[in-house]
Amino acid sequence: MNPATRETTNRTTPSHFAAIIVGGGPAGLAAAITIAEAGLKVAVIERGDWPGSKNMMGGQIYSHPTSKIVPDFWKDAPLERQIVRRDMWMTTADSTLKASYETTDFKLEPYNSFSVFRSRFDKWLAEQARAKGAYIINETLVEDLLWESGKVIGVRTGRDQGDLEGDVVIIAEGVNRFLTEKAGLGEKIRPAAVALAVKEVLALPKEKIEDRFNLEDETGAALEIVGDITGGLPGTGFIYTNRDTISIGVGVILKGLVDRVGEAYELLERFKRQPQIKRLIDGAGPREYAAHLIPEGGYRDMPQLYGDGVLVTGDAAGMVNAVFTEGANLALLSGKMAGETVVHADEQGSFNADTLSYYGRRLEKSLIIKDLKQFQNAAPFLSSHAHMFNLYPEVASAAMKEFLTVDTLSKADKMHLIMKLFRSQVPTRRLVRDMYDAWRAIL
Amino acid sequence: MNENKKEAADQARRGGSARGKSWPAPKLNITARLGLVKFIPDEKSHLSVIDPEVCKTRCPQKFCTHTCPAQVYRWEDEEKLISIAFEGCLECGTCRSGGCPWENIEMSYPRGGYGVQYRLG
Repeated sequence: MNPATRETTNRTTPSHFAAIIVGGGPAGLAAAITIAEAGLKVAVIERGDWPGSKNMMGGQIYSHPTSKIVPDFWKDAPLERQIVRRDMWMTTADSTLKASYETTDFKLEPYNSFSVFRSRFDKWLAEQARAKGAYIINETLVEDLLWESGKVIGVRTGRDQGDLEGDVVIIAEGVNRFLTEKAGLGEKIRPAAVALAVKEVLALPKEKIEDRFNLEDETGAALEIVGDITGGLPGTGFIYTNRDTISIGVGVILKGLVDRVGEAYELLERFKRQPQIKRLIDGAGPREYAAHLIPEGGYRDMPQLYGDGVLVTGDAAGMVNAVFTEGANLALLSGKMAGETVVHADEQGSFNADTLSYYGRRLEKSLIIKDLKQFQNAAPFLSSHAHMFNLYPEVASAAMKEFLTVDTLSKADKMHLIMKLFRSQVPTRRLVRDMYDAWRAIL
Repeated sequence: MNENKKEAADQARRGGSARGKSWPAPKLNITARLGLVKFIPDEKSHLSVIDPEVCKTRCPQKFCTHTCPAQVYRWEDEEKLISIAFEGCLECGTCRSGGCPWENIEMSYPRGGYGVQYRLG
């Protein structure tokens, strides 16, 4: 363990805080920084040896929301590569149809996003919070909330005499809503509303990464892959380039996996064997394996966001936009708003649900609730239209193959064949229905 | 071009893929993969089966042995029970979120400072 961490753990902690934050991820740490900057006493309680040691994502962090918490963070934070290219791949077992966007703008300040490792990035973010005066209490599990006349007044930790009291408890516990459930603010997440993601980090020399992904020094690519790789389950594969490693993983809706009695790591193996993917990672040795849940239910599966003396942020609050694979940005922003709500409540001298409803109003006006509302039908749509995940890639691939194969057929005959194939695989009624449902789900 | 042949090949390929009923590949042993992850195991398990009878009599699929991404759960055919290798748990929460459709697994987080420790994450 790093000595600085130990020092903070042992530093005499005050007996009362303006806010006690459960969980040292992006939501909790953004809240801590905001509250500490206002000069209020704040503690972050983290169950791991350091904030980040239990955390995992694809993944990339976005520059704009991160710089709202730590301006010019890119000068100092442990980042991997500036993401300058986003790829969407539709795959079958042996083919790929790609859409790709790249711009040189994304390698200029303030950038757009960076690939990161959460164990390193969150640790760094916690150091920023500590520098502002926040108490980071590591290796401590919050087991329950403390109540007084129906109001949350603190937390009970697994340590001896481990009760801590605060005006507000901010639940930033992540996707497993142990405390959110105990607080009566939400129920256990539904298997249809959660994705299981498994990921491997593979080591590959820097030059090879840059050659294979057509990148320059410091720049990186983010790939999202749909199709055969998830075996017809609603889900996606992802690849992020890091400095000298590649993050590769698959996320699928848990209900689909259970119904199939399938294994997520098998899907990852299948993904890695797809020929066009295999070429990218050939010779890359495994460095770390990880698994995590993603709350993809969206707006409809969000818990209550505040109560007397309590706020819920980030993944615990279900703030994930599954369509655009955004989560950490929403965690940072919601954490900041939770922090601002504590400052507001401190000024008012009141910490009941009525005062804390300020948080709800801030969220409503922000992109967080706007986006989650807009895409509220997306999660149910994707679950009920699982066939789209490999039907359309299969048909598109077959059509492209036909079109590009030069043989004795005339182009007119080929078009005819393609239309015939298309109609046989996708009856017009189904196409119209899928398109209509998709349109309704997303717009 | 022989369309029938193409369709047949397509069909065969699909039959061999996950569109079919059975899961194709043999079950992977992920011990090597878990060997890459650092764990600080506690003495006491943070995972438990609530009612072993449910596993024995009502769950022929043994869902948890498939859904857990760390293969923590294993069906012991001789003892007729699920064994729990909690030391290698990635703490993802799959088993409490539908990974056991019988809701027969009790999961809490390990004590502070124990459990999985991602160096990269």
